[in-house]
Amino acid sequence: MKRRLVIPGEEVAEGSIILGHGVYRDGEKIYSSILGLLDLNENGVRVIPMTGKYLPKVGDYVIGEIIGNPMPTAWEANIHSPYDALLNASDYYSEIEPFSILLSKIMPPGKMIYALIREITPTKRIYITLRAIGTHPLKGGRIINISPAKVPRVIGKKRSMINMIRKLTGCRVLVGQNGLVWIKGELKAENLVEKVIMTIESEAHTSGLTDRIEEMIEREIK
Amino acid sequence: MKVGEPEEFIIDGKRLDGRAPDELRPIKIEAGVLERADGSCYLEWGGNKVLAACYGPREIHPKHEARSDRAALRTYYRMAPFSVNDRKRPGPDRRSVELSKVIRNTLESVVFLHLFPMTAIDVYIEILQAQAGTRCAGITAASVAIADAGIPMKELIPSCASGKIDGKVVVDLFDTEDNYGEADVPVAIIPRTGEIALLQMDGNLTQEEFEEALNLAVKGCKDVYEKQKEALMKRYGGE
Repeated sequence: MKRRLVIPGEEVAEGSIILGHGVYRDGEKIYSSILGLLDLNENGVRVIPMTGKYLPKVGDYVIGEIIGNPMPTAWEANIHSPYDALLNASDYYSEIEPFSILLSKIMPPGKMIYALIREITPTKRIYITLRAIGTHPLKGGRIINISPAKVPRVIGKKRSMINMIRKLTGCRVLVGQNGLVWIKGELKAENLVEKVIMTIESEAHTSGLTDRIEEMIEREIK
Repeated sequence: MKVGEPEEFIIDGKRLDGRAPDELRPIKIEAGVLERADGSCYLEWGGNKVLAACYGPREIHPKHEARSDRAALRTYYRMAPFSVNDRKRPGPDRRSVELSKVIRNTLESVVFLHLFPMTAIDVYIEILQAQAGTRCAGITAASVAIADAGIPMKELIPSCASGKIDGKVVVDLFDTEDNYGEADVPVAIIPRTGEIALLQMDGNLTQEEFEEALNLAVKGCKDVYEKQKEALMKRYGGE
């Protein structure tokens, strides 16, 4: 299925229909508000963005970097979104006495973490947690940065793409919804995964990508 | 008569640069030219060369500029020292502060700022070469850069000027006409609704002349809008 590219202000639908991301209603008609691919079906209408910053959503897994000097009971993390995230000490350790230990001794600025967005307040304070399943501070490996709009392609349908990459290269790969990717494994395999993910990003709009990437990895491994 | 002022602006129905009265200078727009910016646009409009870059939404500094109900749109219009014949003294001056404000007000009418409270959206407009009509060129380039950054907006916003030379209303003045002509009317519109987002007038026009000038500028805006759409389609591989 080929989706049409729409630009801001382009008419995409009319009448009563459920509005998704990237569209707005003016009277009877519905217009796109962003540049992206139109997804129109009986369930509703939305525009899949082609570019843009990551907007945090509760329940997203993200990769972040601890920044600045920690407050007495919380860290601050840069999650490559318009808003910095807060990581309360109680979201990492169950029991921590305020001021009893310097948080920068536990996680100094520059530490990378794989965290879950737990709460977003109406004033746009973002709380992340390291006590959810799968979340942890990241040790070693490398981080690469891709466009958040391309993350669904790197993960693939039912995680097919990322599982295939993990299986064939033996690397540990974590993809944050905010466009940061963590890779850890053998040096050669890490280089290969980095190359593969960059290829996926630049060819995200083409179809049959998973098969071609699989071929590419098998060719490189030999 | 001043030095450099031509005796006649329209000779045999043609203007000094060979254009018809209702003809625009050639326009070239390219989106996504800068690697580091979130969105960018390079525009050539006759002798005008403009580079626009957009960052954001991002954390706002200084914090006191944050608005709890919407993003702060900040525009910076800047002319390069080499953009005009006499060297332009670098740094903010009355004119660039005013134009930054005028352009900000124009863009605020289309960008959905309420979606990003407590953040900043920064738009930088660099005039590399000027040949009159840089505010229109700046608005045109900035709106393409904002769309390229993936920021939600009502619509792209094209801009075009018209003016009066030799007692005749013409569209899109170039520098000689602008300097020695009788009036200049920059206009920006929201194409779908036809709403006017920017309207200024420098010089004197009668009511009939003003209406003619406005109509010409709106027609020019619609041509510019087509170029903007083309540029974005080309950048993202649409047909």
